Amino acid sequence: MTKVLKTNKSVEEAVKELLKFLLKSGKVKGVFTLRKINGNGAVAYSLITSLDMLKDAVPLFPLMPANAGKLLSNLTLRGSVVDPVVAVVRPCELRAFIELVKRKQGSLENLLLVSSTCAGVYPLEMAVNGDIDKKLSQYWDATKRGEIVPDTRPTCMGCEHFLPYTADITVTLIGKKDIDNQCEIFLNTEKGQQFVDGIDGEFVEGKLESEEVVSMRNKRKDEKKRLFDEIGIEKFGLKGLIETFGKCIGCHGCSKVCPICYCNLCYSDSKTYEHKPSVYEMQLKRRGGLRVPPDTISYQIGRLTHVGISCVGCGLCADVCPANIPISTIFLKVGDSVQKMFDYLPGRDVEEQIPVTTFETDEFVEVED
Amino acid sequence: MKGAILNVTENIAKTIINFLEKGLDKKCFDAVLIPIKVPAGDSFAWVLVQNKSLLKDANPLPPVMPVQGAKALSSITKMGKTNRKIAAIMRPCEVRAAVELSKLEQVNLENIFLISIDCPGVLPLKDYLGRPKEAMDKFNKILHSAQNDIQWGNESTRPACQVCDKFIGTDIGFCQSNLHIGILGTEDKIIFLIPNNESGKSILNEMDIEAEKSVDNWEKKAKEIIEVRKKKRKEVQERLKSEVMGIDNLLDTFSKCINCHNCRSACPICYCRQCYFESEIMKLPSDDYLMRADSKGALRFLPDTLLFHLGRMTHMSLSCVGCGACEDACPMSIDVSQIFNFVADNSQELFNYVPGKSVEESLPLKTYEEDELHKVEI
Repeated sequence: MTKVLKTNKSVEEAVKELLKFLLKSGKVKGVFTLRKINGNGAVAYSLITSLDMLKDAVPLFPLMPANAGKLLSNLTLRGSVVDPVVAVVRPCELRAFIELVKRKQGSLENLLLVSSTCAGVYPLEMAVNGDIDKKLSQYWDATKRGEIVPDTRPTCMGCEHFLPYTADITVTLIGKKDIDNQCEIFLNTEKGQQFVDGIDGEFVEGKLESEEVVSMRNKRKDEKKRLFDEIGIEKFGLKGLIETFGKCIGCHGCSKVCPICYCNLCYSDSKTYEHKPSVYEMQLKRRGGLRVPPDTISYQIGRLTHVGISCVGCGLCADVCPANIPISTIFLKVGDSVQKMFDYLPGRDVEEQIPVTTFETDEFVEVED
Repeated sequence: MKGAILNVTENIAKTIINFLEKGLDKKCFDAVLIPIKVPAGDSFAWVLVQNKSLLKDANPLPPVMPVQGAKALSSITKMGKTNRKIAAIMRPCEVRAAVELSKLEQVNLENIFLISIDCPGVLPLKDYLGRPKEAMDKFNKILHSAQNDIQWGNESTRPACQVCDKFIGTDIGFCQSNLHIGILGTEDKIIFLIPNNESGKSILNEMDIEAEKSVDNWEKKAKEIIEVRKKKRKEVQERLKSEVMGIDNLLDTFSKCINCHNCRSACPICYCRQCYFESEIMKLPSDDYLMRADSKGALRFLPDTLLFHLGRMTHMSLSCVGCGACEDACPMSIDVSQIFNFVADNSQELFNYVPGKSVEESLPLKTYEEDELHKVEI
């Protein structure tokens, strides 16, 4: 059982109230959350330090303009925040951040992590014409009923890790019929409990792993299986790879937005990937023709090899792909398989070491000579 | 102006491919750089071809521009000149970008034979993917509409293409290919091969193609469309001015940007291996972020979104060829190319510079003129 802060306010209000309390009481120096900017409907992550600016915060807005894990890494890359900062992020963003911390790309120190049982987000393209605002009531209706929200991103619909693993505080949304006038905020850690000390509300005991959560996990698992079957990656072979990635335009936007791809300069953008004219001439002679720029599939497979073990399936890669390649589903499927081989779940626990940095004398004996 | 006339067999694309095959046979060039349909049939990719049988799926004028041709050429010749002679068949904006990249030492034009074609524009990549067949039909309609549509191209092509006044690969389009292929005003019955220089003439000579025919009718038609496009470009930019000028409008326009930098990756001119805005310099100590947030109450994260666009603009606008690749790659459908085009037109005019017009014309920032820009002197 976990300690729960219960208030008679809508979820949106209660979360904002919590953030306000933390900022006003000086317990935190800043609030990191989604915010409406520019008054034109655009939503972006922001670091808020004034109470006044907090009014534009939309912590639960169903959009992921960037993976917050990547942003938190940016914030803490050069050293942890000196004064506490509270961050409201989605479970996959949190998992990504944990993976980045393991890779020494960020620090958890002085961060109070707030997350929610996540109902998913809409594709970025729906943020272009303000379509999300029209969908909001449908989004919350489905969430209350504990159903998969239609039109959210495919990876979200098939995400089974919607219950945050390492959050100090978790707001429950899925299957909560009363979220319009009642909010349950789970205080998972001692840190979480200390920070909310002094806030208005009733404290009760509760269980995060509710019936609704279990039921949703099953639905998502089914959807994930359906998604994987649809892509049919097992049957890909070289032909399938060529057909799938043939339309890649080489922008590498997928690696730019991927929270796990933290390299300042991707290997595939490095000099190693540039060839002298003589190399092209040799290939011409050997094969009669070659695609330029070359190495389209090599890039995808290379990235897959690099990030697969830590892929949290946040879906941003597919969201930004100008060629509409279902990258996230492919990466998640391969990531899932690799992760299972090592019994590893990225972002589950910061103490859990990345498999490739761990030496086990007794594993994969079957591939030994 | 004079040129050769080729009769169209089957269709324009096939006629051009036959011409290229003949060039390969006669060893006028050793390989061809041309867009070829990808195996899944849902896009086009640049392929360097020596083996003629690979040309069966080639399309010298594909309906989309997934990769700007100059980028393909750069990947082959960035490290030095190629020893094999390559005929690169590209759209005028791709030729112009290649010429700019040669000045920036990212393309080596030695042994490269540039062939351009009258360009009706391309469809947005988003409109093509998923429904390639329908899109292809739509594009073919546009392609053949030159006879009755004075704009040549309609609202279906990309915004950058709709207002492009440099879609011809000869001096009237400020473009310096070696050989230009004219398809306007021919009712798809013939095509014109118009040599732009000695190298163009000598290749036609080698192929026993006489280039003494008048191309006046083609040129007249091309000039008509150029005038219409110029007018439209002015109108659109006038409207854009009121929408994007000033810091508030700019912030508003780029507020949806998610910092993926796809625009810079797709841009042929942005050749930096690592963009300044992705470098270590942009990663600040956490205190700095908090201080900046404190000064305004809230700091957008990542910060400096607008700074990236303005920085990129400053870096590349003198060489911007208005190809529209940036906008095609933007997941948030921001009018990047239109805004960049607008600014580029103005900055280029300031130096009386047309990017891609001539390899001899040096980049304004590399040229010292004692007598210029007096109005900004103190």
